[in-house]
Amino acid sequence: MKERNTTSTLKRILVNCSSQAKEYGGCVAKKVPEVERDMCLKEFLALKNCMQNVCLTSVFCYIKNFSMSANASSSQLTVGLSGSGGLSHAYVQYPPLKCNLPGSRGLYYDDANKLLLSPTSDQVFSWKTVPFSPHVAATADYINEGPVLSIRYSLDAKSIAVHRSNQEIQFFQRETRETFTHMCKSESESILGFFWTDCPVCDLVVVKTSGLDLLTVSFTSKSVNLVETKKLSVNWYVYTHGSRLVLLASGMQCKTLTGFQLSSVGIVRLPRFEMVMAKSDANSKPVLAAEDVFIITVYGRIYCLQIDRVAMQLHSYRFYRDAVVQQGSLPMFSSKISVSVVDNVLLVHQVDARVSILYDIFEDSRAPISAPLPLLLRGLPQSHTGRPVNVGESLDRNSSNHELMFYGDDWTFLVPDLICDVASKSVWKIHLDLEVISSSSSEVPSNLEFLQRRKLEASKTKQLCLAITRAFILERRPVTMVAKAIDVLVSSYSHSVKTCSNLKETKVDEASASVGTNASNSSRSAKDESRVGVGDKSFNLSASDSDDQSREIDSRDLQKSGKENLLGAESSRGEVQSSSLHTQQLGLGNNQLNANNSERQDSQLTSPAISPDEMYSCVFVPVGEEIVGDPSYLVAIIVEFLRSTNSEKIKVRPNIYVFTIQLLVRYERFAELSLLIINKVLEPSKEVAMQLLESGHQNPQMRKLALDMLRQLSLHHDYVTLLVQDGCYLEALRYARKHKVTSVRPSLFLEAALASKDSQHLAAVLRFFSDFIAGFRNTPEYQDYFRILNEMNTGLAV
Amino acid sequence: MGMASVNTASEGMQLCIFDLRRGQQEGQELDKILFFFPADLPFATQLSVIGLSEGLITFTRIFSPDAACEVIEAERHSHVFFEAESDIWMVMVVEKSKESKAACQVDALRKVLKEVHSLFVLFHGTMRSMLEKETSGGLIRSHLYPFITDYLSDFLIGKKLQLPSFHDCLMERGTVQMLTVGREAAIEVQSLVKVLECSAGTTSCYSLVLFQDLLVSTTLSPDDTISLFTYAVLRLTPHALSSGATSWSYLQRTNAGSQVPALSTITNSGSVSDNIYRSRDTSLDQDNNCQVKRPLHHNRWFRGNDGFLASDIWGADNGSQTSVTPIVYLQLTEERMYLCAYQYKSLTIILLVPVSSILNGEQGLSLVKQQVLENVCVLSVPASLKMLRVEEKLSKGWGGENAYHVSGYRYLLVDDERVSRASPPAKVMTLAKDSLLAMSKLREEVNLEKKAKCSSSEVNCDKELEICVRAKNGAWVIARTSRGKELYMVLEKASETLLYASDAVEKFSNRYCSGVFSLD
Repeated sequence: MKERNTTSTLKRILVNCSSQAKEYGGCVAKKVPEVERDMCLKEFLALKNCMQNVCLTSVFCYIKNFSMSANASSSQLTVGLSGSGGLSHAYVQYPPLKCNLPGSRGLYYDDANKLLLSPTSDQVFSWKTVPFSPHVAATADYINEGPVLSIRYSLDAKSIAVHRSNQEIQFFQRETRETFTHMCKSESESILGFFWTDCPVCDLVVVKTSGLDLLTVSFTSKSVNLVETKKLSVNWYVYTHGSRLVLLASGMQCKTLTGFQLSSVGIVRLPRFEMVMAKSDANSKPVLAAEDVFIITVYGRIYCLQIDRVAMQLHSYRFYRDAVVQQGSLPMFSSKISVSVVDNVLLVHQVDARVSILYDIFEDSRAPISAPLPLLLRGLPQSHTGRPVNVGESLDRNSSNHELMFYGDDWTFLVPDLICDVASKSVWKIHLDLEVISSSSSEVPSNLEFLQRRKLEASKTKQLCLAITRAFILERRPVTMVAKAIDVLVSSYSHSVKTCSNLKETKVDEASASVGTNASNSSRSAKDESRVGVGDKSFNLSASDSDDQSREIDSRDLQKSGKENLLGAESSRGEVQSSSLHTQQLGLGNNQLNANNSERQDSQLTSPAISPDEMYSCVFVPVGEEIVGDPSYLVAIIVEFLRSTNSEKIKVRPNIYVFTIQLLVRYERFAELSLLIINKVLEPSKEVAMQLLESGHQNPQMRKLALDMLRQLSLHHDYVTLLVQDGCYLEALRYARKHKVTSVRPSLFLEAALASKDSQHLAAVLRFFSDFIAGFRNTPEYQDYFRILNEMNTGLAV
Repeated sequence: MGMASVNTASEGMQLCIFDLRRGQQEGQELDKILFFFPADLPFATQLSVIGLSEGLITFTRIFSPDAACEVIEAERHSHVFFEAESDIWMVMVVEKSKESKAACQVDALRKVLKEVHSLFVLFHGTMRSMLEKETSGGLIRSHLYPFITDYLSDFLIGKKLQLPSFHDCLMERGTVQMLTVGREAAIEVQSLVKVLECSAGTTSCYSLVLFQDLLVSTTLSPDDTISLFTYAVLRLTPHALSSGATSWSYLQRTNAGSQVPALSTITNSGSVSDNIYRSRDTSLDQDNNCQVKRPLHHNRWFRGNDGFLASDIWGADNGSQTSVTPIVYLQLTEERMYLCAYQYKSLTIILLVPVSSILNGEQGLSLVKQQVLENVCVLSVPASLKMLRVEEKLSKGWGGENAYHVSGYRYLLVDDERVSRASPPAKVMTLAKDSLLAMSKLREEVNLEKKAKCSSSEVNCDKELEICVRAKNGAWVIARTSRGKELYMVLEKASETLLYASDAVEKFSNRYCSGVFSLD
């Protein structure tokens, strides 16, 4: 029955959506030699929409390939959502954080403290969302009864401010439960909203229709003091704590925006700018709404995304200290758009189309990084996995709510990466599935670049990068391609090392200097751990877009590094600007408006960067075990790796050299090997010399190279010992005398001299040691050989 | 035949190759001669030279079965012997000039023989295998003749064959001259080489990279490296290509022009010998449709538009304009390899691709070349600027012609008899004749000493040795060997003490040889 049903559905789809299908097919066919991600996106979405509509009417429609998500409005619709097994670039994890309380009067999100707030009649319950855990317990605070428009905890979490009405904000101190009220002075203006700030001059900013009031709050005097007023007529405003940026909209169309950044380093007023709005016809003038503007923070840069409903485009603007620059536009496939930022990846949720599109706006590319796919739900209880879930029915029965109404009207996207389902009072955190994203990309170098920029789940990302690199090499891709991939990894590592504090660099040096094979490795990882342990707090803070402490660190860092131009591309700009001492002191060494530079700090704490050691142990060694036959391909890649590390001036430990020698020796490529040694491509070290000596059994040339290396490294003891082993005991003696090597046992020399059956030489060696080592004459060795020498001489005389 | 004999006799050099396994019956003595220069010498004379040599070899073998005689010094001639392959001997008879009576460098002459043999083997495989392929000997004779004549023409200075003499005592034939590169450049070169070898698609490719006339990188075995390097320096490097062009016009002129006696021996005797050998083996051309290839033929290499060097020596491919790619033999494995040479400015890259790995001959090879071009050579592709970068790096690091000149010193440094470095020839020329003669003599002594040591204790040939000689003109002539490395040096600062000379060596050793020759 089911099969029949499906076929008929497909048939219906084909009949009903033939024109869209044709368009999509034609578009694909046109571009077919160069298949790209998201080519023909428009056509695809059109086709998909059409199919979905057809599906809606069907009782049981299951199109796996398109893996559509649940349609909230239709309880019959099933989706290609197979519990945890489905593939999507982004997902939410079951279970959600439930904020369901009896008597709750709505949910509020305090993005500065990352708190979810739910006031009841006389209490406010708060849930921490960072770190995100569905089982976090709510904390309750008492507030007075009254209407709540919005509610925010102060940044030190000691007090609570509640927006009661257009005229009134009420403050509560949590410990003492003291309270007082701040009222608007004049009747003509009303309070639009407020937020706490870490700006040095004030604690609280109140946005009113007449402008901004910067206030300090004092519980001792139970009053607020006005510090400064920014006069401006305001229709609505947008603020995110992550960017510390408030955008104030004014004008008829509300498209004239003024921005202030109120950060711990001071207040920056941005130049007023106009949003771009397309007009449908001459008379109608669309009005920009607060919902149409998003402030996002990506890679520490602040962007603003603005919906242009007429042009169906999402315009992006980037904020600089003295300019707002339009950056280009993203397409819109839905009238309702929302955005999230997860791990510096921008997710544009096309709510009506029920898909999310991912962008990595690190470079100026506006190309999405994966196909438009819906968010998936993962980790449903076992009973739901393994088969398509009829969301409406089964889940409703089980959990008696609508928690799976994906992209429903109840969904509110919270900054930066949370989804709040208002109806079910549950909160989901959006995760990226880097594995899926990277598997959908065929170009490994750019894919690695993308992965290396991911900072959340660093260890997982690192493992993914390693696996990708391994597979890439095992597939025997062209060396130039692999070289590119390696370049990406190495430069990312170099970047992460450079941006680290000096402390870490010394650590790396220490590690690379220590000789033991595993010793340094373990010590290193131990240090890593400890560092993560220390940094954990600040990491979390910076993920929550930092509090005073971490910001202080940032600015200090920046001041320190201001001259070093750590921020690459922007640095030239920075230099120009840095003439003004003020800027430098602010810690904004560059012109760009940095929301917070915690991104940089993250990178040193948890970065997916792969050290040369890890490249060795996790890529080259396993690949060397798997690769069969001629090793020249692998050697080629190691050489590329060495080139890369050399150009980035990263030290490589000798184990990789030893490994290369082993590879080449196994296939008797001595000519190449000696060239690599002579030119110091494989840098001299004791380990390398010893490995060469080992291969010296097969090729005397290698032994010679090893000896030369030992001498050049001034490893006198080993050199002398080897010379004696070779029977060159006289040369060894001379060398020992010159370099005062006393650690080699005299008996070795004496034995060698004895073996040559030359009594003169033996006598010479004996004499040498009695002069060279004090008290040698009294050792039994001396006596023995003296006797032997006498016997030899008498034997000769006879 | 007899007409040219006057000229050749005056030339004072005879070179013969003969096979002791052939012509052992009375009346068939001619059969053992594989090559004789000058070819227009009467057979009786040829036979008497070979007879004498054979007699000496047989005689000395009684005492030393493994290494028969190496040289005979007669009053007016030196006979230099070289057993190229088992029972195939090359003998060079050189007239001693009055001025340099004792100082003709036997070892250098033997190296000439060795070199021409290794080059022959490089292009034609061993003589023995050739003899086995075609037992009449016609094939090998027809190959040897043009090959060696071409080779000898390199020694032609003006009208005379200028064989190695005491003037060349500060250079070592049959070794490779390396370019010293820094680590960064070395990595770039290696990266280029690896990409090259991998882009050829087959696993067992080899490559040789030269910058100017200096070796930068090799993945070949040492022996093959030396032969291929020698050939490259003779015919392929930019220097060889350009000098070929000038000497070409010179040869053309002389050929067309008057009867220059010395040259006529070469050019005329070619035709004479052709007559000789063709008349003896008329079946040759029917048996082997291919013409005899002359890899050492002058100025037949040129740079193609694609940057690959091409030559018409091996003929052109049927129906296409592309010339046939030469095939060379590797000594150790006797594998046959296509030789593809690519040149970019001063950089010459030789890629050896196994013949067995390429199915449809020239066509398949051009595909490989295409790939190589795409991967490393095409300058328009940003990813493949490797070649450009390497060339740039190397030229930056290169100190020019006199890069390895150390002022105050005239030296020769030999490492393991494979790699050498010497003062530039122009600087060696400034030495007095007495110094050179003394050095020449000293080198002979050292060679004898080396041989003596090797034969006495076979385990460790490379013992240390130090000789300082005060030449007639007061120059210090110094030889020092240590662990397979040899250093020869002339210090022409009169009235200095031995201490000074020893100090100078020490300084040189520490500065340029990482202390290998330092006395402790």
